[in-house]
Amino acid sequence: MRILVTVKRVVDPYARVRPMPDGSGIDTGGAKFEINPFDEIAIEEAVRQREARGDTEIVAVSVGPSECEDQLRKALAMGADRAILVETGDPQDSSVVAAELEAIVRELKPDLILMGKQATDDDRNQAAQMLAARLGWPQATFASKLTVSDGSATVARETDTGEETLEIPLPAIVTTDLRLNEPRYIALPGIIKARTKSLEKRPRATTALPKTRPLRYETPPSRPPGKKVGSVEELVSELRARGAI
Amino acid sequence: MSMAQPYSGPRTDAFGGSFFSRLPERIAIPEDFRGDEGLMISSAEQFSRKEVLPVAERLDAQEDGLMPALLRKAADLGFCGIDAPEAYGGLGLGKNLAARILEFLSLNASFSVTIGVHSGISQAGIALFGNHDQKKRYLPGLVTAETIGAYALTEPNAGSDALSATTRAERVPGGYRLNGTKMWISNAKWAGVFTVFAKIDGKEFTGFIVERSMPGVRVEREEHKLGLKGSSTARLVLVDVFVPDDNVLYEPGLGHHVAFNALNLGRFKLSAMSLGPAREMIGQAARYALDRRQFGAPIASFGLIRQKFSDMAVRYFAAESMIYRTGALIDDAFDAHGSDVAGNRRACEEYSVECSACKVFATEAEAFVLDEALQVYGGYGFSEEFPAARHYRDARISRIYEGTNEINRLFLADRLRRRDREGRASLTSVGDSYVSELAGRAMREDVDDQVRMGALSDLVMLVYAEQSSRLRASQSGIPIHQTLSQAVTRWVNPFAAVAFQTVTGETVGLPSPPTASIDELSDAVYAAGAPL
Repeated sequence: MRILVTVKRVVDPYARVRPMPDGSGIDTGGAKFEINPFDEIAIEEAVRQREARGDTEIVAVSVGPSECEDQLRKALAMGADRAILVETGDPQDSSVVAAELEAIVRELKPDLILMGKQATDDDRNQAAQMLAARLGWPQATFASKLTVSDGSATVARETDTGEETLEIPLPAIVTTDLRLNEPRYIALPGIIKARTKSLEKRPRATTALPKTRPLRYETPPSRPPGKKVGSVEELVSELRARGAI
Repeated sequence: MSMAQPYSGPRTDAFGGSFFSRLPERIAIPEDFRGDEGLMISSAEQFSRKEVLPVAERLDAQEDGLMPALLRKAADLGFCGIDAPEAYGGLGLGKNLAARILEFLSLNASFSVTIGVHSGISQAGIALFGNHDQKKRYLPGLVTAETIGAYALTEPNAGSDALSATTRAERVPGGYRLNGTKMWISNAKWAGVFTVFAKIDGKEFTGFIVERSMPGVRVEREEHKLGLKGSSTARLVLVDVFVPDDNVLYEPGLGHHVAFNALNLGRFKLSAMSLGPAREMIGQAARYALDRRQFGAPIASFGLIRQKFSDMAVRYFAAESMIYRTGALIDDAFDAHGSDVAGNRRACEEYSVECSACKVFATEAEAFVLDEALQVYGGYGFSEEFPAARHYRDARISRIYEGTNEINRLFLADRLRRRDREGRASLTSVGDSYVSELAGRAMREDVDDQVRMGALSDLVMLVYAEQSSRLRASQSGIPIHQTLSQAVTRWVNPFAAVAFQTVTGETVGLPSPPTASIDELSDAVYAAGAPL
């Protein structure tokens, strides 16, 4: 079995970033970059599936600038067998990423694609769905449990009304929710072993253009400070004064 | 991050003490750790934050089996054999990287000393001075932490004066019979193997590998300590313990080489371990200061609180600059010489002046940081509900063990002078800074008392601190490093003046200080939530 895992390079989710003064982008300052945390869960899940099944190849794929190599090395240290970087400085949105991934999938023919449900930088939550549409594959998003058996996968998803369990035939795309697993610590021997694993860089396979174009980034207006009230009476009169009741 | 090229390969023109008389073209800086080294370091930090810090209280209560289990968990991730030879199960990585990883494993001091002793001095003696058979028998078990290691040099009446040890080894057929008491033995409660020093027939100081299972080995009750309550410290009593010839470490009568060279590396590693709690508390205290409001404003905005964060960042920066410069030099020395026991000895010894300077400077920086960080918390700092009190207690031992800072102060300048007499260093200072100029002048004095020798050592140490900070700032290209380095110089100068006056009895003027940068540095610490 072959599992393809996607890895996006995102700014450290805990770093404080701000829009550039001209609104043309985000100033990440000296912030660190990490693997998108949901993608880390996807890598961990792939490793667990391999531990459970044996005989599984895990391929990690990134689409982006050469710096993505750092994140792919980490994916290799976490247990991926090899990595592919589609190296590009072109502007991209989910549709571009889906087009590039489609080309890779048609070449590698994985049985399962594991993707983070969204990236913590732009929160788009689209690439997996677009890729499924392009491939005509079934998808199960926001997985909180995954069991793979021959030819199919059972996926539990937590919804507002309870837990939903889906069965989908393979090949398929599954996106990961926070509850799916907790990625393990990366062992030093794994990091050293990753040095000799293959990390292939290749140019883009398509000329797909973004379908969306960001116009402007700006800081949300700051909220007026709250007020502490001493009693229920005071609360009610404050709410009245503001026309809330 | 850094735009400069990373340091690579040995600078063949560096040698022990060379910083005093010449300015190197490049030094190694912490910013040189990159790529998958950064991954190793962040894995260590994650381990500390998720596995160690949350159980700090339970460790302090000596919860049964918790610390050994934690050590084994760390070993599973490779943290107990970072610089151990690959042929014996280790990862064979450099000592500088091992020290950086250890810094991040040291956010809690009880765990730090446990893993530090286990993976440091307890392994170093065997790894560097053991024969193939000894390494094969002991190192793999230590690397996996299946066996925990300890190092037994100190005795009730032989502390700083280690060679006055009275533990005896009598020659008997097939080996030796050991009798004596060793004191303050870290990891004693859990250790399966001890590196023990004893005198053969009361004369020849010799290292022995002693297993806990050997008849006559007894570990006494735990000491009640001021801090490090989560670590194990106890006496090791040896009564007619038979140790076979195969367990003599290195050569009979050459135990001092083992003991002191292991300690040289131990001092270097301890300096990195001292940065861990300092790093942790700078971050914790910064968050507290931003959160805590008095007089209608966060206390972080007050000048005297800002000054503390600026001072803490400056000491940390200087210590960090010295330590990871030194570690790369030690790695170079091992690359150049470390192919056999004689080469290992030379590599351990080469940078002993720098190791002592790091030990003294870093442990005093740690003490300063933890004291000031506690002060930021005000009354809450004195309460066990907050993290400052534990760190404060735990850090007190850093200035005492691995050679007291006083012993290191006697050693430092004296050793540099000895190297000069042996033609292995020069006492003509670079003279590129106020402190370097004063140190060069002070070196011309005849010094035969401890007080002046201590002051001379302070000058040597301050030269190393100031120069390392300055070179790092110019290499890293990180703007805040320039500010930090200037602040280090500003802080060093008056200390240098006082030390110079102590050595020479001459009056000396101070250069005018560069502009203060308290607001800039404190704001940067607040934004980073960590040292800079």
